[in-house]
Amino acid sequence: MAHVVEVAPAMSMPQLDKARHVKYWTRCVKTLLPHQYISLDSNRMYLGYFILAALDVLHALETVCSETERSDFANWIYRCQCPGGGFRMWRGTDFGELANDGNGKWDPANVPATYFALVTLLILGDDFKRIKRKQTLQWLRKMQRPDGSFGETLVEGQIEGGMDPRYGYCVAGIRYVLRGTMSGPLNLDGEEVQDIAVDTLVTRIRQAEAFDGGIADQPFNEPHAGYTFCALGALNFVGRLKKAELPPSVPSPQEGPSNPQEVVRWLVYRQTDSLDPDANNDSEFVGDSMSAKITDRELESILPSNAAPPGHNDAIESAKVTDRELENILPTHAPSPGHNEAPKQGVEPSGHDGTGSHGATTGFDWHCAGMNGRTNKIADTCYAWWSGASLHILGQPTLYDREAVQKYLLGKTQHGILGGFGKFPGDLPDLYHSYLGLTALSIAGSTEVKKVDAGMCISEDAKARLKNVWKSWGIDSPQDGP
Amino acid sequence: MGKYSQDPQWADITPLPTDEGGPNPLAAIAYSDEYAETMSYLRAVMAADEKSERVLALTEDLIDMNPAHYTVWLYRAECLFAVGGATEQERQKSLRQELEWLNDTALDHQKNYQIWHHRMLVVDKLGSVEGEQEFVEQMFDKDAKNYHVWSYRQWMVRRFDLWEKGELEFTEGLIGRDVRNNSAWNHRWFVVNGREGSEGVKDKGVRTREVEFAMQAIGRAPGNQCGWNYLRGVARKGGMGLGELKVFVGQFAGLEGGEVRSSHALDLMAEILAEEEGGREEAGRALDMLKEKYDPIRRNYWEYRKVMLGLPAAGAAA
Repeated sequence: MAHVVEVAPAMSMPQLDKARHVKYWTRCVKTLLPHQYISLDSNRMYLGYFILAALDVLHALETVCSETERSDFANWIYRCQCPGGGFRMWRGTDFGELANDGNGKWDPANVPATYFALVTLLILGDDFKRIKRKQTLQWLRKMQRPDGSFGETLVEGQIEGGMDPRYGYCVAGIRYVLRGTMSGPLNLDGEEVQDIAVDTLVTRIRQAEAFDGGIADQPFNEPHAGYTFCALGALNFVGRLKKAELPPSVPSPQEGPSNPQEVVRWLVYRQTDSLDPDANNDSEFVGDSMSAKITDRELESILPSNAAPPGHNDAIESAKVTDRELENILPTHAPSPGHNEAPKQGVEPSGHDGTGSHGATTGFDWHCAGMNGRTNKIADTCYAWWSGASLHILGQPTLYDREAVQKYLLGKTQHGILGGFGKFPGDLPDLYHSYLGLTALSIAGSTEVKKVDAGMCISEDAKARLKNVWKSWGIDSPQDGP
Repeated sequence: MGKYSQDPQWADITPLPTDEGGPNPLAAIAYSDEYAETMSYLRAVMAADEKSERVLALTEDLIDMNPAHYTVWLYRAECLFAVGGATEQERQKSLRQELEWLNDTALDHQKNYQIWHHRMLVVDKLGSVEGEQEFVEQMFDKDAKNYHVWSYRQWMVRRFDLWEKGELEFTEGLIGRDVRNNSAWNHRWFVVNGREGSEGVKDKGVRTREVEFAMQAIGRAPGNQCGWNYLRGVARKGGMGLGELKVFVGQFAGLEGGEVRSSHALDLMAEILAEEEGGREEAGRALDMLKEKYDPIRRNYWEYRKVMLGLPAAGAAA
């Protein structure tokens, strides 16, 4: 026969191209981010978090960034701290000498910015002595609405921002960093600081549970893996999480989720072999431009400019993209040879992995399967984190096929030339997917990267520094905390 | 020279450039000249808390480049409501204009949240839902699963009491077009169950209607999880015994050599059997079939379900 198709032998585990990842992140930290990131200018704090957290997870923060640079980064973060506590996302709203009581409303502290500032300071090994701890905790409490949800900013006494558990997660995380697991009023500098209303936060999260087991941003909205992570993560931070244990038991009304087994069921169903990026689009979770697909025409401009940002006197050589690499990438933005998707792979007859057939349903290679964010959506790098980490938080870290997730990330969305991860197979890398690809790999069992804490999304090393910070504030570390 | 620095209308404003305040700012971006200039003028007028027509134009420019800017939207809203006209008629006109601008902006930035929040403020103030259903459907033509748009649709239904104004038929139409659109299924659940004081699927008539709706959709696409989740949800929340579904489910999950047409049916069958007197062993067999043949990707989970039933676990895979 002329067209004998040879069935590929069991796909071996592709490797993490660590050097290229380090190079990708080095470029991000040493040179200006390309202009496509302008639409994320007001999210600079979390872009900075991705960059430093990724270098940390790759064991490269200390080698890539000098002590001076690291201390400059911490100084920049502190310059984003607002006079009344909390942090802004970037200096873009700061009026400098023109700041006054009247215009202060346009330069508010921002809840996610504050969480990311705190964890980035942990990553940098900061001593937290410059944190406006009391003011931040006082402000935090004002961010809660009567229904239990939290907002993003406080402008003229009005809580702004969507009703969405991203803020609840960040608030719970800020509270955890600044007061550990202590609940109730706290005496700070001779002043009593009230706690957030934890009970109503729990109630609010339980109300957003959907009929199929997932958790949404608000009651009756569609369940979503990102919001499910935030909801579980918030419960975890405030010590109200009911894990999925055997035999199952019913949580008290002060705990959530109301039925952990249903959430587990919904989460394991997030794993899918569906890969076709043209089938649909996804991932409204962080914002469009992070996941925007970039055309060849735009490719040239996405490569970081070799101009150094203010203060970077010399963009280091190794961070530059060489002409050779450029040549490789220009004709096609598919991953490198060897990581290329075999055109027929997804529809090969089953059995080539030697572990049994799957019946007549789809015809998939079950040894390569990522996670999606909602029912009937396709796999996407970031949901390998949101869905996988949710299972870890619930205490069931092995109920998904972690090897298949590793294969999906390493074989499909890792970028073979630039390093980093794209959203879908063949996509160019961006900061968001590149960091969450690494953290997803870590919790899926890869030993190439540092161990990542599923609740905080930073390395266990960085999280462990909290102990000393707490000690300096006289807080005992919990024996069995989140 | 830039657009603003050359414009005599802006000559009275001293731009306020970004001040990173020190060396090595984090996540610094290669700002275009246009963006850097627009931001500098924005900061200057915000610092003065100016509310004027020219500020509206400036915020439009800025939003086009950076729609995620979290205070520019609030500033624009204040501005709009402050300069939007002296008479009711003028105010209505300016709000309508704002919606028209928002239409284009939403189509350009489909995944942006702020746009939709701003739209809620404007439509709420207008007090009229006229044209909104049509626009939302235009958005769904682009992406029928856009999360923000679905949130907005729910808000519309509540705010303008659209529960019985064709909303159920709307979900039927969308599900008819794409039976796998989980967002449309979820919206149906909302329309049926989300109304304050309504019984939803706890009402027997409603429950029967919804069970039939789900069964028909399953008949069209047995491998589609949406229909199965909905059916199971209706039964569970409607207080109906899962056993009542056994005959139907059995058609798709034949256990004794019958044809298995859907792994989701097999999953539900395992649940039905587990609730039956003495059905545990048979439930375990359904779970084994899922593990070995019909849904091996979730093999660890199927093992876990067996343990939940008190059945011995096979040497669980790693």
